Amino acid sequence: MNVLVLSGYGINCENETLHAFEVVGFKGKIIHINDLIQNPKQLNNYQVFAIPGGFSYGDDTGSGNAMAKKIMTNLYDQLIDFSLKDKLILGICNGCQILINLGLVPSLNKKDPEVAMIENKSGSYECRWVDVKVSNNKSPWLENISTLNLPVAHQEGQFMIPINLLKSIKANNLISLQYIDHHKKLAKGQFPFNPNGSKDDIAALTNQNGNVLAMMPHPERAFYHYHIPNWQSKTLKKFGDGYKIFMNAKKFFA
Amino acid sequence: MTNTIQILSIEKTGKESSLQKEHNNKSIKIIDGYFFSTNLDDQKFTKISKLISNDVSQTILTKKNVNNVLSSYSNFNWVVEIKFLPGVTDNIATTVKEIIKDNLKSSFKSFELGSTKIILIKGRKEDITKISKNEANPLIQTIKIYPFKKYLNNFKKNQFKIEKVKLPKKKYSKKEINLDISDHQLSLIGKLGIEEIDKSRRGTLGLDLESLKAIRNYFSTIKRKPTDVEIETLAQTWSEHCKHKIFSAKIDDIHEGIFKKYIKGATEKIIQLRKDNFCVSLFTDNAGGIEFNNDWIICHKVETHNTPSALDPFGGAITGIVGVNRDCLGFGKGAKPIANTYAYYLADPNKNYQLYRQKNNNDPMLPANFIAKGIISGVRVGGNCSGIPTPQGNVYFDDRFAGKPLVFCGTVGIIPKKIKGKLSHKKKANPGDIILMAGGRVGKDGIHGATFSSEELDPNSPVSAVQIGDPITQKKMSDVIIRELRDENLYSSITDNGAGGLSSSIGEMAKESGGFIVDLEKVPLKYNGLYPWEIWVSESQERMTLAVPPANVKKVIKRFNARGVEATIIGKFIKKEKAIVKYNKTEILNLDMEFLHEGYPKLNLKTSFPKIKKEKKKIIKKSSLIDKLHKLLSSTNIVSKEFIATQYDHEVQATSIIKPLQGEGRVFGNATAIKPLFDDEKSIALSQAAYPQYAETNPYDMAGCSIDTAYKNLIVSGANSKKIAILDNFCWCSSDEPDRLYQLKEAAKACYDYAVAYQTPFISGKDSMFNDFKGFNKAGKSVKISIPPTLLISSIGVVDKISHLTKITPDDGDILVVLGKTRNELQNSVYSKIIGYKKSKNPVVNSKDALRTYRNFEKANKLGIINSAIGIDLGGIGIAVAKMAIASKKGLTIDLKLKNKISVDQYLFSETQSRILVSIKKNNLANFKKIFITSDYTIIGKCTGSDVIEFKDNKKIMRSKISDFAKSYKQNIKGL
Repeated sequence: MNVLVLSGYGINCENETLHAFEVVGFKGKIIHINDLIQNPKQLNNYQVFAIPGGFSYGDDTGSGNAMAKKIMTNLYDQLIDFSLKDKLILGICNGCQILINLGLVPSLNKKDPEVAMIENKSGSYECRWVDVKVSNNKSPWLENISTLNLPVAHQEGQFMIPINLLKSIKANNLISLQYIDHHKKLAKGQFPFNPNGSKDDIAALTNQNGNVLAMMPHPERAFYHYHIPNWQSKTLKKFGDGYKIFMNAKKFFA
Repeated sequence: MTNTIQILSIEKTGKESSLQKEHNNKSIKIIDGYFFSTNLDDQKFTKISKLISNDVSQTILTKKNVNNVLSSYSNFNWVVEIKFLPGVTDNIATTVKEIIKDNLKSSFKSFELGSTKIILIKGRKEDITKISKNEANPLIQTIKIYPFKKYLNNFKKNQFKIEKVKLPKKKYSKKEINLDISDHQLSLIGKLGIEEIDKSRRGTLGLDLESLKAIRNYFSTIKRKPTDVEIETLAQTWSEHCKHKIFSAKIDDIHEGIFKKYIKGATEKIIQLRKDNFCVSLFTDNAGGIEFNNDWIICHKVETHNTPSALDPFGGAITGIVGVNRDCLGFGKGAKPIANTYAYYLADPNKNYQLYRQKNNNDPMLPANFIAKGIISGVRVGGNCSGIPTPQGNVYFDDRFAGKPLVFCGTVGIIPKKIKGKLSHKKKANPGDIILMAGGRVGKDGIHGATFSSEELDPNSPVSAVQIGDPITQKKMSDVIIRELRDENLYSSITDNGAGGLSSSIGEMAKESGGFIVDLEKVPLKYNGLYPWEIWVSESQERMTLAVPPANVKKVIKRFNARGVEATIIGKFIKKEKAIVKYNKTEILNLDMEFLHEGYPKLNLKTSFPKIKKEKKKIIKKSSLIDKLHKLLSSTNIVSKEFIATQYDHEVQATSIIKPLQGEGRVFGNATAIKPLFDDEKSIALSQAAYPQYAETNPYDMAGCSIDTAYKNLIVSGANSKKIAILDNFCWCSSDEPDRLYQLKEAAKACYDYAVAYQTPFISGKDSMFNDFKGFNKAGKSVKISIPPTLLISSIGVVDKISHLTKITPDDGDILVVLGKTRNELQNSVYSKIIGYKKSKNPVVNSKDALRTYRNFEKANKLGIINSAIGIDLGGIGIAVAKMAIASKKGLTIDLKLKNKISVDQYLFSETQSRILVSIKKNNLANFKKIFITSDYTIIGKCTGSDVIEFKDNKKIMRSKISDFAKSYKQNIKGL
């Protein structure tokens, strides 16, 4: 089981993302986008393609846009090919924004991006812990998980989806994570439970196969128990909620 | 054909909402504009606009649709067009150029573009002007306000213009400067700069008459005239900013100067006493290094960026944070930045100070809230975009920062002890090594930054002294250095380009080899037309200088280039102790290294005892205890800074283990911790402290309090007392006045005394000596505003085990204990400022008592006897109690039956140092008492688990709900 973790141009969560995969049993490598463009065939050596969080191109021209365009020009077919196989793709935060800008998620009518990531309603960057619920079992990434406590850290985390598309997204069960409040009920846009004002409290989307997951919260930052806020006051197991997502990837290939 | 691409969001953006709310105007829309130097044909227009916009969320404006699209939002009548001035770093434009070049390959090569913010408004012109003032800074941006109709016209007739840098195309010819002139003429060169042929001056060199005479003497000995480049270089190298002349000067009877005697002296004494390997690299490198574990070193550096932040708050602050990141990259062979710290000392953002740099209400200081907001966002963008967590910081407000804000930015780095068997903190540029400049290009940014930050802010301060950091360029460069070069030992030395640019970085590194030869024409430029002296001293950001053995040069350049980073050979290091600079083969600088670095005249300073400014007594306002608590909790210096913590990513790198917001109730903590390695449970605890409010009363005790608090906060967090180091950042004012120098000497003396007493070494430091504003008030009267002397002590410590990390939240049934004695020390306290003040004293630290408390605490904590703990500082016990309750959402009962001659208010709000509020589980009380038999403590109450805090004295019970206290504590700061 091999994971390719993408880096370059301001992506910055590659070390901790790779670490999370390695702990659950993957072998992996951080590969710079330019090296991948030079030799796209190396994708064949990997079962998981992960785009970590960060600030590719400083979010200029919209978060994830510039990196997505670079991938579209240079690697698009290879990545589509990857997504159509029995393989997994994960985009976290900036990675999520890149996948959305690539149109790999929700990918209902192919090629062009259908969803946009826009600025948080608060207008400010939000670094805080949130609760999300898994809305369906479509994605292998989220199998047997009901809720997760994870941190978000973003300026543009609001999913903007045209009404008609939202209907088909719902019809196809592509909403995979939604923000919830302290009572485990949907946040209904209420800040800070929903940190960015995302419609329908959407925190993550998948493609129809479920093998591509684009999520705004950071599972790799909730990997160990000591990542969890106020862990000293709680009785906890060794790992935090983020661990479950990486374990699911392992199980998928087991 | 068009020369502009303009994009707007279909839905209201967060920024638009906040603007609309702020100005109570629903007709505000923002357009992202890009102006091109050449016309785009339709095909290019379509391709490019698709590349830089989003179909789903944005609309691209065209000549055809512009009218209809915009009128669907509102009936706009005014337009504000905000562009960067030519030459100012435009990060968005850089990205767009990169996108175009990357994706369109050869089809569109040479062009210029600038990013523009276009605000459309419906309203009166006065309101528009007001909005534009809030959104732009005239120092770095041009603001054009014109009617909407003209905008439409510009759109249709391709009349949007990009302003290119226009520089004189005069060829440089070597310029010799005659210094055999009158003292008056000589001092004009120092104050106003070298005179050009047209009689204009280049801008201040910050050289005093004595220095200029030393230069004259040197050149008369070598029998030639100096070149302009030589004088510029000496001005940079000898600046207060680079040489710290005041700290190294003879002062009264201290011949070796206060740095050697008190700061370095303290560390040397401590090393001698400790006999361990804790201190690794001190004072000589870009940051100070200590041992983290057997295999790793951590380093820490804190810088100030005050003057640039006064002029351009956003640019100043972002440059401050990415600049100090480079200090870590330049530590030893290159440490990876793993945490940022910040501390801001600001004027009240809710006040309008109306200060002007020139007479007749000309050249106004930026408003206090503009400065505060700009600084906060500058560090946000710099830190977040770099992928470095920013967990630790604080903000303090005082009117005396109205003339100059203080912006402290710090970075912690980590590096393996050994790289390929060699000690990583040792580096040496060898003769023959190539000088390689990597990262950004050179422009006119920050010309004269080093010399100018050493001068007071006055009407002649040059505006070109402002730089804007580009965190993405730096991140790309940093990744190559740390991941792809360092661990293969491909270079022999590395340092960053900060103040003084190449002249400083190469000058400093060349000390390792002997000297250097540089060919300036090889330096890549942002635009043509820079004079050699400008290239040499420019402070363009995101550059590192490396010394690379010739055999590795190709490989190193190739690796940089493969990641989209420029790297250029610009000269070589030599054995001969000469500094030589050539420009198109003409030698324009040739100095002895000894003279370059040590030739400046040493100062001889005298101090005099200042008139002590005692706080005026203020009548105590009558109100209930509960009411006073609410007032203090909501006062700007105590109120929660959560809004900053949540906009600074403190989780990136997945190392955050004690976060800035603590407990379910999210209290802004005074120490944080990160766990930097996946395979070691050791953590790094960070804190900082400064007490400018105590300075005018007693600078010695002020420094004592800063050290005590910074040290105590780490003890409280669970750090090993033998593994705590501190950093000093002196921000002073009027350091040419004997009474200010007296205060400086006193503060430095306290640094020695307390550091030695606590055996916590200084590992790095920096000073900024002239934080004064000279200008005019609204009435045209000349005013001078000096900051109160401020000594920021930053502390960094190692926590050996995860189980040693403490929390601030007590549990039901816990017994509350105050460790340390409480005295009537309310002078200059938050209480005295907000409530009033009678007879009291300034806090004084008794290091012996303090150490007994700290040692006992450490012992008890390791044994698991401490259930929760919080350092007591601003607002005293009262505020510490409230914070514990707010954080845990658990009620506390406090017993106020006081024995000593101290009133309830004095007891609860005194800011006596060296105290800790702890909670102990009942069954640990006996063990607790055994350990604490050697230090003072008072049992003050218990945790009830109810929803109120109650205070009981002999007569009555006073109580209030925790949620009400939380409301006061979480109030917004007015003006922000």
